[in-house]
Amino acid sequence: MEPYDTATVLTRVLTSGVVMSIEKNDRELPGLERALKKLTGRSNAVLVNSYTAAVHTALVAQGIGHGAEITQPGLDDRTAAFLAWLGVSVRDGSPATFDSIGVDGGNAGRLRELAATGAPALVVNLTGLGFGPAAAVLTDDPKAWARGERLKIFGAFDLRTMWTQEEADPDLVPGVQFNYRLSPLVAACVRMALTKAAQPAGAAS
Amino acid sequence: MITDFPSSPLPLPREEEAAGELAVLGGRPMIPKGLGRTVFPVITKEDVFTMLLSQRVAPEKVVADFAEAYRAYVGAEFALPTASGTASLHMALAGAGVEPGDEVIVPAFTFIATAQAVVAAHAVPVFVDIDPKTYCMDPGATEAAVTPRTKAIMPVHVHGLPADVPALRALADRCGVRLVEDASHAHSARIDGAVAGSLGDAAGQSLMADKNFPLGGEGGIAFFATEAAYRRARDYLERHGIDYGMSWIAAAFGASQLARLPYYDQIRARNAELLGDALAETGLFRPPYVPAGYVHAYNMYRITLVPEAVGLEDLPVYAVKEAVHELLVAEGVPAREWQNTPIPCHLPFRKRAGFGGSYPFTLNPDAVRDHTPDDFPVTLRMLESTLTLCRELRSPVEYERVLRYADAFRKVARRPDVIRKLVADGGYRRPWEKAARLG
Repeated sequence: MEPYDTATVLTRVLTSGVVMSIEKNDRELPGLERALKKLTGRSNAVLVNSYTAAVHTALVAQGIGHGAEITQPGLDDRTAAFLAWLGVSVRDGSPATFDSIGVDGGNAGRLRELAATGAPALVVNLTGLGFGPAAAVLTDDPKAWARGERLKIFGAFDLRTMWTQEEADPDLVPGVQFNYRLSPLVAACVRMALTKAAQPAGAAS
Repeated sequence: MITDFPSSPLPLPREEEAAGELAVLGGRPMIPKGLGRTVFPVITKEDVFTMLLSQRVAPEKVVADFAEAYRAYVGAEFALPTASGTASLHMALAGAGVEPGDEVIVPAFTFIATAQAVVAAHAVPVFVDIDPKTYCMDPGATEAAVTPRTKAIMPVHVHGLPADVPALRALADRCGVRLVEDASHAHSARIDGAVAGSLGDAAGQSLMADKNFPLGGEGGIAFFATEAAYRRARDYLERHGIDYGMSWIAAAFGASQLARLPYYDQIRARNAELLGDALAETGLFRPPYVPAGYVHAYNMYRITLVPEAVGLEDLPVYAVKEAVHELLVAEGVPAREWQNTPIPCHLPFRKRAGFGGSYPFTLNPDAVRDHTPDDFPVTLRMLESTLTLCRELRSPVEYERVLRYADAFRKVARRPDVIRKLVADGGYRRPWEKAARLG
């Protein structure tokens, strides 16, 4: 993205005064969620603050935790180390527990095509767009989405209601919870970059 | 354009307003409707300018420059910028040498991230009660909880008041364990001039935008007293493939916000003093206790109720608190409980699912307790008898707002008759009998 565009987006969000992920009236995180759902054709999105946070979320979303074994083809060493730290053992092979794609300025316009994969959870690493560590997990399973959301906050529901832990769903008792929340400022920049990349050639200003 | 610039100013209070009828009885609220919003965080042209400049710098340098500037301000030896306060606490524990199954002693009253960071480090949090005056970790209770498997003591500088670090440091040295600060509320807080974050073997601190020193949304920083601890934390991230990196966008605001931090600190201290003087005159309300030589950062301002000072000693203090809470909210004062249940009684520590299969609690079953609230009587007394202002002292330009808050407390304290009637009608419950609240 051009520096002018980044500056405009950041200044717009700053002027609104809403820069925290836990603000009720934040519009940037829901905006990026909508964009990612549209671009990937999945019905639910969990935004997080790094690729490893997304891998963690993709597992927790499927109820996979310490002591479990999964199949996953072609893991890189760094992700394998992270899964070992989570206590999840991995057998090389299919089916994939999660699919993973890395988005950058060169391929952002092909996200729809890249996202045409079959695993129950899709990890989209957005760090390559240049706004710092950022990622998302896309899934069609609303229960998986709810589990994933719960990992990244402290509490029981979503960002807007994280200040209460009143339980509504006994299957979703929170275990360890990490603050994997993405800044609305980063989300706004990512959304702008994805939107521009998705425009037909010649339409971008 | 969506802007947070106020649509109209808050007028200075007039004497007759404070003498008027309570809002709950139909009087005019001290903070008029439509003017209740506290503008926060404060973002200025300087922030926008440094953000623009940062686009011309390599992202990793933007983050590193910020971390170095803030490290120097705090006076810590080494700093590791992170994506969140929780990540910074995790890294502080890793740097301190906490290993899977180790015990880390934490206060029962804190934000839940303190204890979750211990679990993140694959260790087991051991909860102890707090001091009745400071509301920070009680050194005596901490000493009683030390076992051969204790690796670290993790005090929290609650609301911005440093914990009793001299006593805890002595205890840690005596027992051969590490002292790790949770300084997430305590930007610029001090003991005898030394800044929170530089007091322990390691420290973690949140820099999210709801703190006294806000970055661009979410962020944190870990501090270390030795290079060995710093390297241990760096190696931990590398070895386990964890990405806790801070976004350059968050860091881009660090320089300009840091330059203004001493100004913010002075405004908060002024507001706290002004409000404290007013509260002390009411009898019903007592301002936060600050030991000699300590600087309270007032990220939050916890007010203790003294019902006996206004003839309400026959009523349960929690019911008086609830009634006062209603009256203050009606006056436009956004007072809050900020926590109502000891942390070990929150769901994640009642169920202890951890990473799955109860890991890491399974590594050290002897350290695990099925706590009930009664295990922490001082915390319960505090939860029953206090109310908190959160953002309300931080806004640097609204002197008139804190004057109006002071008047609202005066107004409420003058009406024990109304408090008594509300208690009679209220059917109030003890704080921890309601759904657990994080804040």
